[in-house]
Amino acid sequence: MIKTKIKEGISKALFAIAAVLCIVAVAAIFLFLITESFPAFRKIGFFRFLFGETWKPNVDDRLTETPTGQYGIWKMLAGTLVSTVGAVGIGGTLGFFTAVFLSRFCPVKLKGAFYAVINLLAGIPSVIYGFFGIYVLSPMLGFLSPNGSGSGVLATSIVLGIMILPTVTSLSKIALDTVPKGYYEGARAIGATHEQAVYRAVVPAARSGIAASLILAVGRALGETMAVTMVAGNAVNYPTSLFKSFRTLTANIVMEMGYAGELQMGALVASGVVLLLFVLLIVLAGQVLRGKNGRQRNGKKRGIAAVERWLYQLKIEKIGKTVCWASAIFTGGVLFFLIGWIVVNGAPHLSWKFVFGNYSIVDHASYTIAPSLAATLMTVAVSIAISVPLGVATAVYLQEYAKKNSKAVKIIRASIDILSGVPSIVYALFGAITFKMWLGGNVSILAGSFTVTLMLLPIVVRSTEESLLTVSDALRAGSFALGAGKVRTIFKIVLPSALPGILTAVILAVGRVVSESAPFIYTMGSSIQPMPNGYRSSGTTLAVALYCFAGEGRYMNEAFATAFVLILLVFCLNVLAQILGKALTKKWKGEENGVRKKHQRAKR
Amino acid sequence: MEYGKNISVQNAKLWYGDFQALKGIDMEISEHSVTAFIGPSGCGKSTFLKCFNRMNDLVNGCKIEGNFKIGEVDIYDKATDVNELRKNVGMVFQKPNPFPMSVYDNIAYGPRTFGIKKRKQLDEIVENSLRAAAMWEELKDRLSKSALGLSGGQQQRLCIARALAVKPKIILMDEPTSALDPISTGKIEELCEELKSTTTIVIVTHNMQQATRISDKTGFFLMGELVEYGDTDDIFNAPKRTETERYITGRFG
Repeated sequence: MIKTKIKEGISKALFAIAAVLCIVAVAAIFLFLITESFPAFRKIGFFRFLFGETWKPNVDDRLTETPTGQYGIWKMLAGTLVSTVGAVGIGGTLGFFTAVFLSRFCPVKLKGAFYAVINLLAGIPSVIYGFFGIYVLSPMLGFLSPNGSGSGVLATSIVLGIMILPTVTSLSKIALDTVPKGYYEGARAIGATHEQAVYRAVVPAARSGIAASLILAVGRALGETMAVTMVAGNAVNYPTSLFKSFRTLTANIVMEMGYAGELQMGALVASGVVLLLFVLLIVLAGQVLRGKNGRQRNGKKRGIAAVERWLYQLKIEKIGKTVCWASAIFTGGVLFFLIGWIVVNGAPHLSWKFVFGNYSIVDHASYTIAPSLAATLMTVAVSIAISVPLGVATAVYLQEYAKKNSKAVKIIRASIDILSGVPSIVYALFGAITFKMWLGGNVSILAGSFTVTLMLLPIVVRSTEESLLTVSDALRAGSFALGAGKVRTIFKIVLPSALPGILTAVILAVGRVVSESAPFIYTMGSSIQPMPNGYRSSGTTLAVALYCFAGEGRYMNEAFATAFVLILLVFCLNVLAQILGKALTKKWKGEENGVRKKHQRAKR
Repeated sequence: MEYGKNISVQNAKLWYGDFQALKGIDMEISEHSVTAFIGPSGCGKSTFLKCFNRMNDLVNGCKIEGNFKIGEVDIYDKATDVNELRKNVGMVFQKPNPFPMSVYDNIAYGPRTFGIKKRKQLDEIVENSLRAAAMWEELKDRLSKSALGLSGGQQQRLCIARALAVKPKIILMDEPTSALDPISTGKIEELCEELKSTTTIVIVTHNMQQATRISDKTGFFLMGELVEYGDTDDIFNAPKRTETERYITGRFG
């Protein structure tokens, strides 16, 4: 018995240590943002910084002296807001109707394949969308543009819109699918048509889930860096017309942090803080929306009521079906075209030599992505090896040990929530300033890995918590009632039951490392290098390599082939997640499913 | 100090936060008997049952007073090991809660918790427990299959077998048949009769016929108090209190 007690004590301590480490990491990021930005805020002046119209940094400006350059981010802030609104307007609307289509209008045969493609696209690196933007969208828009250049506000909004489309569609579809059957049947039972039942009963019931998907989309559009940099034009202008070249806050950070002076760097971190504030607003909006939903029965929000009235006047149920089909066809068309474009152009240039062959920096004909593949794998290994154990242990501590309603836990959870929405470019700032310095001031694969580890932590913690929540308390009670202690219950009952969810989260995390690019550019390196000979070498991950190939414009074949490899990787990860999920479900509930399937077959 | 098969409670009081769920209950339960707790929802019968294996410890803001003894052991004493207590006082829940693992592993979970590792010994325990729960013939060929593939009634009997595997002195059942069909319910009631020879059984039930069919003694709870407690025949044929009569004749609850 004493042995058990010691085991319990040690395990609890280990979980607690993990949680503390995680909290320290979270706190470090907030502390970093505050300490690094505060002097700049003070020197420049908060309002001059936020509402100043001129961005003309002077590299020689120090934090201690009066600034000679000008540091106003107002135009870029406007750029960020306008492109986000545009993206959510395009991607959100299309995504919503596509989700309604998928959930309620789609022929059964098409459903599985369509949904799989949407999910695949949700995991595709944003540089691929940027790449598509430069070489397909911009030239197309160029024909319409008065100044002959297709890049600018419209191109950025469309690229971001396409990027968030899969996310909105996938999450809204889940929200629509989980509406209780009775709502639809009840509407049909009083004589409503299929369209009326869907738009009047099902959609309103799924409102909060749809809103959550849009909020997530806003966060993604707001924080996207590389894709935007590729199509925005990046001149510091007000986004006053559709084809005006403009710059967003994130693009500004990634373009200038490489050679920023002291005060300029402070100002860049300060704009990171502004982005963080927006994320905070979004998270709060999400919580208010979620809270409202419970109370809505009494008094509807005026805004929502107005939108609904407008929908009535529009007779949406009459045109709903058409709109749905049109959106779905458009969405499907764009997404299939995107994949097709890369496969058709990339596959012919894909060779054993290109993927695994020797790399030579002088011989342009023998550029290969073997070094990038290696760097990607190295980064995945380190970041997953650190973030998964730490994140899972933290989640276990928060869910299984910590007091449910304690204020400290609520604060920690809220901070983790905010961090999981922080744009990756903010982590890039953190990594470039701290990790790079600690590791000797040079970019290295290790610095990049640590940066992305930090980015993964909140994601792993949140998704593990979600999976732990799905484990029924009855199982925990059953284990305790048999005399098992907490540790045994956690390791034998809770974690195995949550395993499919946790594994999916791990695979998603791997996908995130593969598809990120912004956090790596100033921590790991931005030029393609020979085979790394250790974690202290610099290098590029595949996504960054694509950015390099595409950005230079001279290595299109390489760019296509790299994009193809990236899509293949994401595809494999998706398939792996599905296979693992199914295998585990089978292991735990196998027979049940088998029996059910047999019954279904028998019924037919 | 030895765990016994009899329960003795004096002046049990329990609070969930500010709400007092038990208001001073005394009860003696003798060994090898079946005792039924009846009463309307929220009367405190399940709460009282969960005091016997300290499952209420898991509830936030729960405070307990009074004297609870199982055999010679004061179960709320600081020196009492909760896990040891729960080994001696098993529990079956309202909804079957088999673990998501094989039938065999479900039954072996308890013994393994208490350090039994040898395959041969475990095989024996699994067989004996399943026999005791009258399921050996049904399940002997599918021991390695997932327990989640069983029917609801089978799952609940498996949970009883799982509880039996650690050789408890007492088994608590919290409305064990409320989620089951009549045939499965009958099987579990039969099982209660048989288990009486080896254990003491305390069962919470909403079904008064069930209480008359299987229990030796019955306690009627109302608003956190034990209104009447005595031989089942007396409670149902000649209740002393009007509340009891009104409840068993179906006038409220």
